[in-house]
Amino acid sequence: MSLEPLDSPDADVIPDHTPEELEALLGDLVLARDDHLNAPGFVIRPDTVQETLSILKEQAGYDHLSLVSAQEYENRYESIYHLKKFDDPTQEVSVVVPADKDNPVSQSGEAVFRTADWHEREAYDLVGIEYDDHPDLRRILLPETWQGHPLSLDYDMNQPQIAALPAHVNPIQDHHRDDESDTMFLNIGPHHPATHGVLHLKTVLDGEQVVDVESDIGYLHRCEEQMAQSGTYRHQIMPYPDRWDYISAGLLNEWAYARAAEDLADIEVPEYAQVIRTMGAEMCRIAAHMLALATFALDVNGDFTATFMYAINDRERVQNLLEDLTGQRLMFNYFRLGGVVWDLPEPREEFFSKTRDFLDQLPGNIEEYHNLVTSNEIFQMRTIDTGILPPEVAKNYGATGPVLRGSGVDYDLRRDDPYGYYDELDWDVITEDGCDNYSRLLVRMQEVEESAKIIGQCVDLLEDWPEDERTIQANVPRTLRPDDDTEVYRAVEAAKGELGIYIRSDGTDKPARFKIRSPCFSNLQTLPEMANGEYIPDVIAALGSLDIVLGEVDR
Amino acid sequence: MADAPAQLFPEFLVDTFGLPGVLGEVVAALIAAFVVGNIVLAFTGVAGPWAKRKITAAFTDRIAVSRVGPFGLLIIPASAVQLLAKELIVPEGVDRPTWDLAPIILPASALLGFAVIPMGQIGPVNLHLADPEVGFALVFAFASIASVSLVMAGYGSNNKYSMLGGLRAVAQNLAYEIPLIVTAMSVVIFAGTLEMSGIVAAQSETLVSIGGFDIPAWYALVNPFAFVLFLAANMAEIGRNPFDIPEAPTEIVAGYQTEYSSSYFVLFYLGEFVHIFLGGAILAVTFLGGPAGPGPESISFLWFVVKVWGFFLFTQWCRSALPRVRIDQLIEIGWKGMLVLSFANLVLTAVIVGVIA
Repeated sequence: MSLEPLDSPDADVIPDHTPEELEALLGDLVLARDDHLNAPGFVIRPDTVQETLSILKEQAGYDHLSLVSAQEYENRYESIYHLKKFDDPTQEVSVVVPADKDNPVSQSGEAVFRTADWHEREAYDLVGIEYDDHPDLRRILLPETWQGHPLSLDYDMNQPQIAALPAHVNPIQDHHRDDESDTMFLNIGPHHPATHGVLHLKTVLDGEQVVDVESDIGYLHRCEEQMAQSGTYRHQIMPYPDRWDYISAGLLNEWAYARAAEDLADIEVPEYAQVIRTMGAEMCRIAAHMLALATFALDVNGDFTATFMYAINDRERVQNLLEDLTGQRLMFNYFRLGGVVWDLPEPREEFFSKTRDFLDQLPGNIEEYHNLVTSNEIFQMRTIDTGILPPEVAKNYGATGPVLRGSGVDYDLRRDDPYGYYDELDWDVITEDGCDNYSRLLVRMQEVEESAKIIGQCVDLLEDWPEDERTIQANVPRTLRPDDDTEVYRAVEAAKGELGIYIRSDGTDKPARFKIRSPCFSNLQTLPEMANGEYIPDVIAALGSLDIVLGEVDR
Repeated sequence: MADAPAQLFPEFLVDTFGLPGVLGEVVAALIAAFVVGNIVLAFTGVAGPWAKRKITAAFTDRIAVSRVGPFGLLIIPASAVQLLAKELIVPEGVDRPTWDLAPIILPASALLGFAVIPMGQIGPVNLHLADPEVGFALVFAFASIASVSLVMAGYGSNNKYSMLGGLRAVAQNLAYEIPLIVTAMSVVIFAGTLEMSGIVAAQSETLVSIGGFDIPAWYALVNPFAFVLFLAANMAEIGRNPFDIPEAPTEIVAGYQTEYSSSYFVLFYLGEFVHIFLGGAILAVTFLGGPAGPGPESISFLWFVVKVWGFFLFTQWCRSALPRVRIDQLIEIGWKGMLVLSFANLVLTAVIVGVIA
């Protein structure tokens, strides 16, 4: 690591590679090219995954495994490792790993990227690819007794899942008695005041200290990917993203789908619509971060803390604005491919003045939170230097969003992979290098202020926008049929981090494969790193500082 | 204030109704205890279902109970009926006599403490049950029985969260009872007596006179350092924020209470509230001049109520505003910080009193 400030030329920086140079670097490992819209793709043999990934990571600087997507074709299975660079996420490469149709075995990439652990378990669970050399290849979303793999082609969804009751694993049944050790096994959740939804933590305690913690997820799995695959691009998919991260981050999620689908169908979004999108998305970010602050205060302060109600109050004010804009408070369904569904509410001046009123009183409220929460000495005792997540570990787990920025990594897709209107506006990416629970909270609170800056600039722009240039939607055909076998992976900076969508089209008006890269899914994976060796209250605080939404983890 | 102390409540009953002999004294004592016990229970009745909600709501810009009766006050009987009508769930594998006794011991121990608390006068009636020579030691002894109940509940529930809560309760009470009592001893050095009435009387002397207005020698004014120390230790003793870690709902669900429902749950809650009021009463007697206040002696009960409810309000304020410390930090504050400070305070007080007196 260099001790120099960030803007000085770093000797360790690996130069960017053209696809041809990468192909040369990988040499014989590459069997063929299978380029995607967003990145060059290299087809490799299923037993050379680790070798390929480590060359790309060590020698070419692709240090971010954003997503592992898996699917079944008529003649083969296929896993795709979508790689990026934390320094420049526009540098992307896809590693395409076909596996045999009858014996779908593929080498695990877990040894190179820790984050592949859960991603490959999900691929095994839903698609049915088996990963060789995987440390713990079990189902992750579905129960162990599930018959078949729901996203495989021959899966019969009409066949009832028959498993005798005793065969079902009752996660809280085991006593885990061990005469040798002095540890205690404790189930935290699935129903527990601090799990922020239905999450089950299998915890091993030594007194009050945590020896091991393992997350058990899938309680809120709703087949979101499959539902998206059975809807048409133009209108039927857009309502679903609101239901992933349902903590009022709806517009941010909708943007993830819109960005991927617009790239896939080559749709240009009018500037006016981009400004409205940017403003709405940042309102959602404020609402989401307010709830993060509120629930974190619940976890650390106790369940009658005033901070919770104060932050919820501020979130309500943003939601009133969002309701004026979209007609909805939670499930907005406001974006359309090529723009937004309708223009700002009339009278426009009233909406602008309401928004400005909110922005004007926000700094005072943030000040109050700082007085009440972050400058409280007991709060600092509880959160500083607990739940440590070093930057290298965070990167290895594919953590993104405030969790990564709280570990001092300067990575924000809004700036690094610009979309919408962000690159025209004046705002900053917030980082804190404490790597602890406190830093993650500070990042969120400062991001609220940055979002307010963005909204303020958008309001000014929208107010002065000439009346005859207010195009809210591009001209998009009624039915979208992207070309056969086109693949795209696009991500946006959602409230919790990098929310990506992978789509493969097959020439019809519905996606052949729709894969969601959930930031919470990857962030939650870091919990054992933060919690092991700490006390129970720190595990709760660490979990709160990750700010997970189980709707997005389980999809 | 130089009058002879008013008669104790049972003696007053004996004299007023002319109850003869030992039997009369027993009957008078029972009646007196019944009255005092009900006053305390009425406090908790108002505090639990109504005042607590209203206070928390006021801190968080809400309205809270307002639909049932004037100011929502009829929520008190409504909640009582609702709580008692619920099913008492007895989990499998609980340690029966222990599990059943725990919710009785907690409110009983806290109520016992009120036996020696001078609660002031209403008209001619002095609400003070007994005034033994060791009253001050007795009240702490009674209050400490509560931790036994918490351990019983934690152990008897056959639940890991309860067990953790019980263990935390013991660790916390051990760490904070010693500083609490050592700090209280500094007051005994000032007053020179363990008698509750003596400690109150000692505080009725005038400390300074400003413009003809007498400031009484309340120990909170004489030794504010000890007052703050005592207040903090008291919060830990009664398990309120920032020291509510035996319950810590977001960590260990509800600690020792996790498995209790219906009337047992009510008894636990009752016990906790009586405990808060006992904590307030001890604080009032030790540092705030007991029931003393401006106006005639005959309304001093009013001042007692104000002080005790003031303490209750303070606990609710802390609950709304303060984070909870971690168990290891709590132990550290108790053993490494408050114990040392309380002994320093004791030695210092002893030296000052010894030199001056």
